Amino acid sequence: MTTTRRGFLATTGTAIGTLASAALLVPRGLRAAPAEIRKPAPGTTGAGGPAGLVGASPLPPFAELAKRALDRAKSAGATYADARLVAMMREHVEVKDRRVERVSQSEEIGISVRVLVDGAWGFSATPQIVQLQVFAAVDRAIMQAKANAALAKRLGAPKVELAKVEPVTAEWVTPHTLDPFSIGPADKAELLLAATAAALGVKGVAHASASVTCVREDKLLLTTEGSKIHQVHLRVAPELGATAVDRRRGRFANREHDGPPMSIGWEHVTELDLPKLAVTTGEQVLQKLHAPVVEPGLRHVVLDPTNLYLTIHESIGHPTELDRAVGLEANFAGTSFLELADTGKLQYANERVSVFADRTQPGGLATTGWDDEGVPTSRWPIIDKGKFVGWQTTREQAAWIGETASHGCSYGNGYDGVQFQRMPNVSLQPGSEGYTTEDLINATDDGVYITGRGSWSIDQQRHNFQFGGQMFWRIKKGRLVTPLRDVAYQANTLEFWRSCDMLGGTSTYRLGGSMGDGKGEPSQSNAVSHGCPPARFKATIVRTGGAA
Amino acid sequence: MTLTAAAAKALCRIALGSATFGDVRVHVRSRQTGDLRFGASRPTTGGDVETIEMRVTAQRDGRRATVTGNRTDRASLEALVARAETLAALSPVDPEATGPLGPIKPMRVVARDAKVARMTPQVRADLVGEAIEAGRLRGLEVSGHLQHSETAEAFADRRGLSAFHVGTELVMTCTCRTPDGTGSSKGGFTSHARGTFSPRELATRVAEAAMRSRDPKPVEPGRYTVVLMPDAVAELLDFLVSSMDARAAIEGRSFFAKAGGGTKLGDALFDPRVTLRSDPSDRTNPSSPLADDGSPHARTTWIDRGVPKVLHASRSYAQLAGVPAVPRPGHIHMDGESNDLDALVGKVQRGLLVTRLWYNRMLDPKGIVATGLTRDGTFLIEGGKIGHAVKNLRYNDGPVTLLSKLVALGRPERAGMSSGRVWVVPPVVADGFNFESTSDAI
Repeated sequence: MTTTRRGFLATTGTAIGTLASAALLVPRGLRAAPAEIRKPAPGTTGAGGPAGLVGASPLPPFAELAKRALDRAKSAGATYADARLVAMMREHVEVKDRRVERVSQSEEIGISVRVLVDGAWGFSATPQIVQLQVFAAVDRAIMQAKANAALAKRLGAPKVELAKVEPVTAEWVTPHTLDPFSIGPADKAELLLAATAAALGVKGVAHASASVTCVREDKLLLTTEGSKIHQVHLRVAPELGATAVDRRRGRFANREHDGPPMSIGWEHVTELDLPKLAVTTGEQVLQKLHAPVVEPGLRHVVLDPTNLYLTIHESIGHPTELDRAVGLEANFAGTSFLELADTGKLQYANERVSVFADRTQPGGLATTGWDDEGVPTSRWPIIDKGKFVGWQTTREQAAWIGETASHGCSYGNGYDGVQFQRMPNVSLQPGSEGYTTEDLINATDDGVYITGRGSWSIDQQRHNFQFGGQMFWRIKKGRLVTPLRDVAYQANTLEFWRSCDMLGGTSTYRLGGSMGDGKGEPSQSNAVSHGCPPARFKATIVRTGGAA
Repeated sequence: MTLTAAAAKALCRIALGSATFGDVRVHVRSRQTGDLRFGASRPTTGGDVETIEMRVTAQRDGRRATVTGNRTDRASLEALVARAETLAALSPVDPEATGPLGPIKPMRVVARDAKVARMTPQVRADLVGEAIEAGRLRGLEVSGHLQHSETAEAFADRRGLSAFHVGTELVMTCTCRTPDGTGSSKGGFTSHARGTFSPRELATRVAEAAMRSRDPKPVEPGRYTVVLMPDAVAELLDFLVSSMDARAAIEGRSFFAKAGGGTKLGDALFDPRVTLRSDPSDRTNPSSPLADDGSPHARTTWIDRGVPKVLHASRSYAQLAGVPAVPRPGHIHMDGESNDLDALVGKVQRGLLVTRLWYNRMLDPKGIVATGLTRDGTFLIEGGKIGHAVKNLRYNDGPVTLLSKLVALGRPERAGMSSGRVWVVPPVVADGFNFESTSDAI
């Protein structure tokens, strides 16, 4: 049975049932927290919905071969196997000043097979979706799994075991109004050139650039458990920047705009109104060029959602990845300051701070119906009233923290990237007082208001971070008094989050996101969003340049 | 198996044969990789992956588009070319468009090792097992990654460009952590050839460094004399090499821009012992003789005895500005001196030894000031001797300090944890490197 919206709800019912029994086994600390809501993200419905993009997909004709590949894996000894057919389409249109820098489209298609033999993984991928090559890939994956299983056994390592999942046949498409690939690259370039022209129209702006990246990730997952899930994800990432140069003083400034990438249709770009945004961007780069440098010191920072989202990503998103905490990422991305024993105990943040992981959030880059090992997506607490309560998990990881169900965080990038734990959307909940950004500024005697994404850097256990921004204003006695330049804030993760003493209300909540969250070896890219209101913290302001 | 030269060129011929534009350029990239990760002293994930990429750029009257696909049958190739031409016709005119490259004579580079190309899952498991066991012998938790790859690529256009290169790469990195979580170190090996590489020796060396790095003591942030090991040097020089861009310099947007206009080429900017060169045909550490757009890499001296000599420039900017077209390098060699590590440390009364730098991000392109943190073994040097481990520190500084406040250089070696380009650089001793704060990260 193929499920669109209606069948999809039936599946959801089963999933909730599974979770209700699982909840009894969750460690005590977790039980006090708000319950997980296991209700997959709403997908596009109705005419022109799933039928449109799924119907146009090149993948279904290969499903039969993928099924036979799984049979071959089973008969070679796999206790579990999955096959992922993936067709990625990327389009990038970029303009600089008054010229088109690049129009490019890239399309790739392929299949991967992941097998579990004697509790060890094997994986192989090929772009040649024909029996000879796909079966050879299965054989290579089996060979690896056996070699790895023998090594694991010799080392006395535990076997991989997967949390159970109800098999499902389903389809899901990112909700959208206008397919971004239905707009021609020439029209896109024209819009971008209008934006750079608008920025260059601001007197003093020397250079302007604009681009838009559109991604269609079309994937069909089959598992030996009987799941068959076809999903099409759309992502749109507009970018816009302006540069001003002061040759006399040998100094320059850049300003990048704050429109976030999202899982959405072309309507996102239309609504942003790039030419109008370009004028503001141009005006602000001049303010920035001529702004005074900041006075370093410990102060209040009021962080706009366009800046705070990345701080959430780095200082809450990454430390709560379970594979990092148990040391599996030690060689590259790093470990975590969090330990398993901190679950339900550690005061991570001020008690007004609650953070949810949420793969069902509308517009979120990590929003999907099911993850890459067939787990329905959900929303669950990471920090509840300041207390650390939840991890990000995959099916393999659930048992490591005594849970029986995965949180659905498995993702493999492209057909050639093996699935592993990747970050869901992780979002800070708005405050109950209904504050606006102005309320936060008005309440601040001496501080800096920061918007946009600047330079960012954090250590491998996520203790010490330093983040810049795009625009900075000095706050004096409740007012924005002057723009500043060369500013960054430095803090320790726990001290920073514990210092959070004001949050904006629901009306100030915004989504920010990153298309390039890197992790794993070989490194894979993940797209993820973070929603948040503006918030106030204490941090050390540092001066990052401006010797000239 | 990756494509042979004949097979790659055949694909180019098919694609070019179906072109209707006079200017169509093709790039084929075929890659075979095998890898195995390990973490918490056990193998985790890995795979054997095959990819192929066909990139077609079509241009007419300044209208240009690039499409990429990964199907290699005749019909798909023809469709790809047709799409590139259709898309180009729809694209706005680029006033800076350049013509096709035409015939080139790339340097002769031998960069393929059959032993690396033919590694099997069993060999990977054996090598990983060796590393894990060596670390466990000392009671440490071992993680890392082993990857071997073979990459073949061809470039062709309708003006007669026809170039091919094939190379292999073997990379193994290994991290050892003490069970109490107070010590950690990392090391790596990167080469086109298997040679005499021993995972046991790598893991043993890393394990010993991890043991020495236990229980780090905090030191006050501030300016220190530093001994930067080759991977840390490569991390900082990466910012320098990126900023040696002609366009940014001429447009006043970089360190190499002169106040009032022009560039700093020819100015004595750094210590006279600083020489930075590229040589793709380096026998021990070869790199591809072909740049991303098919342009040939040449032997280049970027900085000669402290004086910058060349900035890189894209073909289109070179044409516009009347400067030489020079692709970004895939290989950097920094000259050194004959000091071994003891001799370098011996020159430092009080300072810090830094194994590597992490999460490096540009702060100020004008001064090439970056931020990041030390990682995997940072030690206090007192009275010319390596002392106890210190807590990791965040730096806000960059390659300019390193190259202008230079004290001494060691012998150049391959930076085994640094990828992206081939780095052969010495350990460097420099004065007054700025650390902003400490971190509890191990």
